[in-house]
Amino acid sequence: MRKIMLVAQREYLDNVRTKAFWIGILAFPLIIVLSVLVPILLAETREARTYAVVDGSGFVLQEVEEKIIARDLREVFTATTERYREGGREFEKLSEVLQTATLLYVGLEEEERGRLIELVAETAEPQAEPEGLSAKTALALPQLRTDLRKWWRQVSTKELEDLDVELLRRSYVRIETPMVDAPQAALNRMIEAGELFAYFVIGEDPVTSSEGSKYVSKNLTDRDLLNWFQRMAADVVRARRIEREGIDPEIAHWIQESLRFDARKVGKRGTEEKVETRDRARQWAPVAFVYLLWIAVFTNAQALLTNTIEEKSSRVIEVLLSSVSSFELMAGKIAGMAASGLTVVGSWVIFFFIAIVVIPEMMGASDVALGSIAADPFYMISFLVYFLTGYLFYATLLVGLGSVCNSLKESQNLMMPILIPMLVPLFAMMPIGQDPNGTLARILSFIPLFTPFVMMNRAAGPPPLWEYLVTTLLMIGSIYLATKGAAKIFRIGILMTGKPPKLGEIVKWLTLSEGVMPESQEEGAA
Amino acid sequence: MNDAVRLDGVSKRFGPVVAVDDLSLQVPAGCIYGFLGPNGAGKTTLIRMIMSIFYPDSGRIEVLGHQNPLEVKDRLGYLPEEKGLYKKMRVAELIAYFGRLKGMDGGKARKVAAELLDRFGLGEWKESRCEALSKGMGQKVQLLGTMIHEPELVILDEPFSGLDPVNSDLMRDAVLQLRKEGKTVLFSTHIMEQAEQLCDFVMLIDKGKKVLDGELSAVRASGGQGVILDYDGDGEMLNQLPGVLRVNDAGKQAELVLEDGADPQAILAALVGKLQIRRFDLSEPSLHEIFIRAVGGESDA
Repeated sequence: MRKIMLVAQREYLDNVRTKAFWIGILAFPLIIVLSVLVPILLAETREARTYAVVDGSGFVLQEVEEKIIARDLREVFTATTERYREGGREFEKLSEVLQTATLLYVGLEEEERGRLIELVAETAEPQAEPEGLSAKTALALPQLRTDLRKWWRQVSTKELEDLDVELLRRSYVRIETPMVDAPQAALNRMIEAGELFAYFVIGEDPVTSSEGSKYVSKNLTDRDLLNWFQRMAADVVRARRIEREGIDPEIAHWIQESLRFDARKVGKRGTEEKVETRDRARQWAPVAFVYLLWIAVFTNAQALLTNTIEEKSSRVIEVLLSSVSSFELMAGKIAGMAASGLTVVGSWVIFFFIAIVVIPEMMGASDVALGSIAADPFYMISFLVYFLTGYLFYATLLVGLGSVCNSLKESQNLMMPILIPMLVPLFAMMPIGQDPNGTLARILSFIPLFTPFVMMNRAAGPPPLWEYLVTTLLMIGSIYLATKGAAKIFRIGILMTGKPPKLGEIVKWLTLSEGVMPESQEEGAA
Repeated sequence: MNDAVRLDGVSKRFGPVVAVDDLSLQVPAGCIYGFLGPNGAGKTTLIRMIMSIFYPDSGRIEVLGHQNPLEVKDRLGYLPEEKGLYKKMRVAELIAYFGRLKGMDGGKARKVAAELLDRFGLGEWKESRCEALSKGMGQKVQLLGTMIHEPELVILDEPFSGLDPVNSDLMRDAVLQLRKEGKTVLFSTHIMEQAEQLCDFVMLIDKGKKVLDGELSAVRASGGQGVILDYDGDGEMLNQLPGVLRVNDAGKQAELVLEDGADPQAILAALVGKLQIRRFDLSEPSLHEIFIRAVGGESDA
């Protein structure tokens, strides 16, 4: 035992000195940080899409524009209202027009706010006593409308940026269609020259049919602009259809309403419980853990394999074997690598905990749904336990096979039978996530090659206690058997040179009794 | 305990190949003992069995008075033929690690490692990584790793192979020093001359079988008489000399194996005038000759 610890200690220190170890520790936080930052950066650097519209109908473009202004103004007012509530300098920094408008806006009911914005956005002048507005608001409307529309036309990019709101007019920039005889030809040239991303042609009578409507661009893979404009235009056209058929808009709205089922979950005592977002997240959280588990297990088992082969080719093995038994050597190597693997994985768990629990708490958001799920000690402990068992099992298999090889290249052929089943837990990840206690999930849980991953995958179920117990026992039994088998192979293989044996021959070794050398072993005759 | 190692009817097979065949021998404590034989004779297998890296199929092995070799592993030092170092480890650390594996405590191992490095002129390399060492220095470090725990029995497998003359001398000094300290040294070699210079006892092995063993002087005396001849000229005529059984001719030097009762003076007389004689030495036959005689002249040793 003392010698196993000595070997393990050396392995551990040796590992800590490698770059791979530190890359492993840093990779996870780096990936998390990048996966948060990159989408944000991409969104920020995303170019605004320029487009033009050739409107044959005479009304679609105008009404779409009104919708855009209404939607954007609402965003602006939400932001300014927020500043007003917070009070102080931030609000005073706003332009005078916005300050006046916001003061009026905050005093209104939700419904009246919407109506006010609609009226400001509409191209047509409002009537003297518009519907849905109180007398006081109606009185202020003409002046407010003129000021706001002027502000909207003249506002600088800088001012919009300072407001820090996402505006449609900044994501999708419309360019005026040139006033020429053949505007489409001119637009085509602009697209060709890269001055324009796309243009829309709206047919003469879009209310009746889509005839004559088209979307022209050089880039048809990015359909974001198309989908967005299509949705806006369809809304406009739909409203016209409802009007033409004389249907009450409210009735039309009601007809379009779908039937919704209220999803409920049966809880522990047969009571119905409401399904919350966190429950749904809980269902999928284990999948993330399975990925990490898989990566952690295989990088570490693979590292052990590489390390064994390197040690073998550097010829240190025989000196060691004069001091320790081959079993002590193998066990020490596996334990040392397990310790360094646990250090890396443990650092991930701690980082995860800090990133998801401590930081949000420090920033005041105490109930982050994701945090409370991911930091569930049940998941954390399962993760560490399944890392250890999964690693031990695969590490023993790989170190046994690795011991017969003299180079990594040789090892790759032998590894194939192990590498292929390794992929199963990855393929099964989604089906198991959907049905954690289904037949597939249960069957795979009882196959030691998959147990750690599949049981982690099922954590949302969660599986019944007896399955936890039985699979864990099976796993421990398999690790024991794998260790015995690997020790046999290791003892023979570690001093072998020359061509590695076939997998079948290695399996035959397992049946040999202690101390007997296989026929293909030529080494000793030297 | 008079014998450091005692083998009794030890055999080891690798499939159809019999690497060691029913071999018995005693290695007396405190001597330098040589295993001699051509490549593939079974020397390494024999050594690995003594080191309990392999187990014999049959027969008994007793090392330092213990039947279970695992119990005495810590009292043995072993330098295999194929040897390497952990490239990334520091020199002193590595030697100390070998010591700790042999049961020394960490502090003592580090202290002794530093002392040994100083003594062998590697003091300034203590903190270097092993990959920075030259080949000769690496071999020194390996030897120090074998000796750090003051083993009672040191086993060296082909210790001289691949060494330059300087390192070869160093190895020889180390072996002699070990004997001076009362330790037993067992080494294998296929170069007979080295064994002749160093060994108190030898064992000749061929194809897994012991050919003969015993004290070097006795082994040599058993071979009858011979003549060592340094000469210039055409050595062809040596074969026609009277009373000469066989000639091992190396061009400038030849060993003449004499028939029983042959008269060396008559041979010398026959040589005079035919060859330029620079040396005519009456001696026991070389191990080389003894070996060839024992295995019937078919070996390439």
